[in-house]
Amino acid sequence: MQETTNKPLLSVKNLKKTFGLKTVVNNVSFDVYPGEIITLVGENGAGKSTLKNMLCGLLEPTEGQIFIEGQEVKNINGYEHGISAVHQELSLFGTLTVAENICITQLPGKPGNVNWVEVDNIAQKQLDFLGIDIDTKSLVEDLGTGKQQIVEIAKALLHADKLLILDEPTTSLTAPEREKLFIIMERLKERGVAIIFISHFMDEIYKMGDKYIVLRDGHQVGSGFLKDVPRNDLEEMMVGRTIGESQIDLKPPQEVDAIRVENLSSYDFHDVSFTVKKGEILGIAGLVGAGRTELVEAIFGIRKSKGNIFINDKLVSPVTISKMLENNVSLVTEDRKTNGIFGIRSVRENISAATIESFVNRKIKGFGFRNEEEKTMEVVKDMNVAIPHIQSKIKSLSGGNQQKAIIGRWLSTKPQICILDEPTKGVDIGAKFDIHTMIGELAKQGVAVIVVSSDLPELLQISHRIKVMRTGHMVGEFKREEFNSAKIISMAASSAYEKKE
Amino acid sequence: MNIIKKYLSKKRWVAIVFATFFLGVILTFVSPVFLKFNNLQSVLVQASVTGIVAVGMTFIILTGGIDISLGAILFFTSALFAKIIVGTGSYIFAFVAAIGSACLLGLLNGFLVNKFKMSPLITTLATYTMYRGMAIHLTSAQNVPVPREFGFIGNGKIAGIPVPIILLFIVFGIGIYLLTKTRFGLYVRAIGNSSQSAIESNLPVKKVTLMVYLIGGFTSAIAALILLARVGGLQSGIGIGVEFTVIAAVVLGGTKLSGGAGTVVGSVIGAIFLVLIDNGLNLMNASPYIYDIVRGAVLLTAVIIDRVSIVRQTKHLLEQKAMRIESSKNI
Repeated sequence: MQETTNKPLLSVKNLKKTFGLKTVVNNVSFDVYPGEIITLVGENGAGKSTLKNMLCGLLEPTEGQIFIEGQEVKNINGYEHGISAVHQELSLFGTLTVAENICITQLPGKPGNVNWVEVDNIAQKQLDFLGIDIDTKSLVEDLGTGKQQIVEIAKALLHADKLLILDEPTTSLTAPEREKLFIIMERLKERGVAIIFISHFMDEIYKMGDKYIVLRDGHQVGSGFLKDVPRNDLEEMMVGRTIGESQIDLKPPQEVDAIRVENLSSYDFHDVSFTVKKGEILGIAGLVGAGRTELVEAIFGIRKSKGNIFINDKLVSPVTISKMLENNVSLVTEDRKTNGIFGIRSVRENISAATIESFVNRKIKGFGFRNEEEKTMEVVKDMNVAIPHIQSKIKSLSGGNQQKAIIGRWLSTKPQICILDEPTKGVDIGAKFDIHTMIGELAKQGVAVIVVSSDLPELLQISHRIKVMRTGHMVGEFKREEFNSAKIISMAASSAYEKKE
Repeated sequence: MNIIKKYLSKKRWVAIVFATFFLGVILTFVSPVFLKFNNLQSVLVQASVTGIVAVGMTFIILTGGIDISLGAILFFTSALFAKIIVGTGSYIFAFVAAIGSACLLGLLNGFLVNKFKMSPLITTLATYTMYRGMAIHLTSAQNVPVPREFGFIGNGKIAGIPVPIILLFIVFGIGIYLLTKTRFGLYVRAIGNSSQSAIESNLPVKKVTLMVYLIGGFTSAIAALILLARVGGLQSGIGIGVEFTVIAAVVLGGTKLSGGAGTVVGSVIGAIFLVLIDNGLNLMNASPYIYDIVRGAVLLTAVIIDRVSIVRQTKHLLEQKAMRIESSKNI
């Protein structure tokens, strides 16, 4: 680690970014010195990606200043300022060769006559520097994820001679690939390149990082040297201790299994088994990409899977959506905008969409909408949805109210098993409270509830039991009395964690 | 077998070369006339119009776009050229106006696709109607004969080689050069591959998009001149259906409809392949009503092959992921 007698490479002062009314990054300030590895940590949605995008010029800060080598820079252009980012979604071109990918932003020769020999040489030189043996002429789509990542780093380094931002670079890597990446990071550090390393994995953070910055809900809640902060403290900083505000009172579940999942596997998860009892709330925790959404979608029959699912001890596999609806299973999907709401239709239609028959008095089957308005109004009242009018387009409502309406839609189907995927994502505190209360009510009525959430404090509050998923596997289970946010986080994130049997 | 499969999936245009060769062999057996020099030469002449426009279309499809107004641009250019040449007698003026306006119309397509982020299919469907309407308005829907000497471009020969074939090879050569030797060519393939990555890599996406539609317009103009000269004058049927034959040629030539991968060579051979089918039907004295059925079936086959390869690739990726997850348990 270089000590900091020299000037900071990058200084960020009071950086702020708002989207509409929502402040995503608020009052963030830090310095980066050459040859330093700064780890940026925080939960999903804490504002890490937004901060990264501001630093490499993809987003413009709402407020605050960025200094590069002492000079204030207004319109930051990553490439020009020697800053480059390797995003989680790689920005590579699969059908182009490795060499073409590396050099695409800086082709040697004239535009009208590219020097392809030189392209190969430059690419080879970059890869040699990283100490990786990849054929520069092979197509990127033929490489594994690990090698693609290295190609991306090689591409980024062509510009980033000062600062490289790595956004969760290890999530899709195998163990040996990860080790290689760490060696490369060390090598860059020796050359005086500063690295901002975004990661969830505590092992890596402590292994590679010099300093840390913790973001929570867009705020910088801590920063300093990693050697001064124990792991537990860092984890607590990430999660915060906001438990208690909407404590719901949980009744013990009934001793009857509502749903039993046995050895379920698909492309995105492997050999998952669990049961949920009537009146029980099961939380599923894990990082983004752990396969949680895919799991619940497979249970509901949206995705294909192998394995057995029993509802009330009756085998229902192979599952289809209509079978699930017959068995009174409902799923509130994660992506409200694309999978949940019918944006340009009214609140009324959105609420009655799943079980129109239960909302209308019909003399002839399939005709008429008598009483629909009154009955949907009841749902609106029950769910505490704030709407200008029952006929308003649902997309004109706030995220929280949209979500409450959608949950209302599914509760109208009188579910026996209710699956909610990120039910409070992007909703305000008030709506969150309402949704939590509603989930508690459901459980009291004997409904089996499965909640997938990246918001750990939320799961800690509302679940009887939490299961942790990591890279497609169920890796652990916590009963309510054993709840421990730090343990759950490290299990979800740790790359070295061994499954307890 | 696997090696061949892998090779074919990488060099997709090789398939059309084999198919063309195979069709040629069959036709040789079907008709003794087929292998005659004159017949082969006329096959190339017939393929020139489709082939030239296919070069332009290849660039457009490579970026992930499509332009179905190219036939209409072709028609408009023919009309403008015929009107000017009959009205003023100035070849220079007529050439400049025709080629210039074709480039402008292509540019307009690119501009609309860029500016309003509209689906290129719908955008160019609208401009297709508009450009055709403009041409009909210009000529009051009348036939306009062109001077005899202009026929040289369609029927003449230089050093014993028919002019359309020469033009085809010039456009073909320029196309190959642009796509493989220049920065622009790399950008074209990159944008079609992933426009998101292209934006993140700071590539001039909009400029390149404008440029490919302009090239489309330009190639249509060259094709228009050949067609006009061969027909001997403007007729209302000129250019109808050209865009579909051209898209068929490009897809048969192994260019992915979703963009990112493809070659100029494949498209031109695709065009020759389509002419060979017509030629074969002709040599077999097939009913003229059958032509479109066969052409449609061939295009359908090509699109299905295109689709199947994508589905297979996605499945392969998913399976790789599943295997990684399965093995990750033991880490």
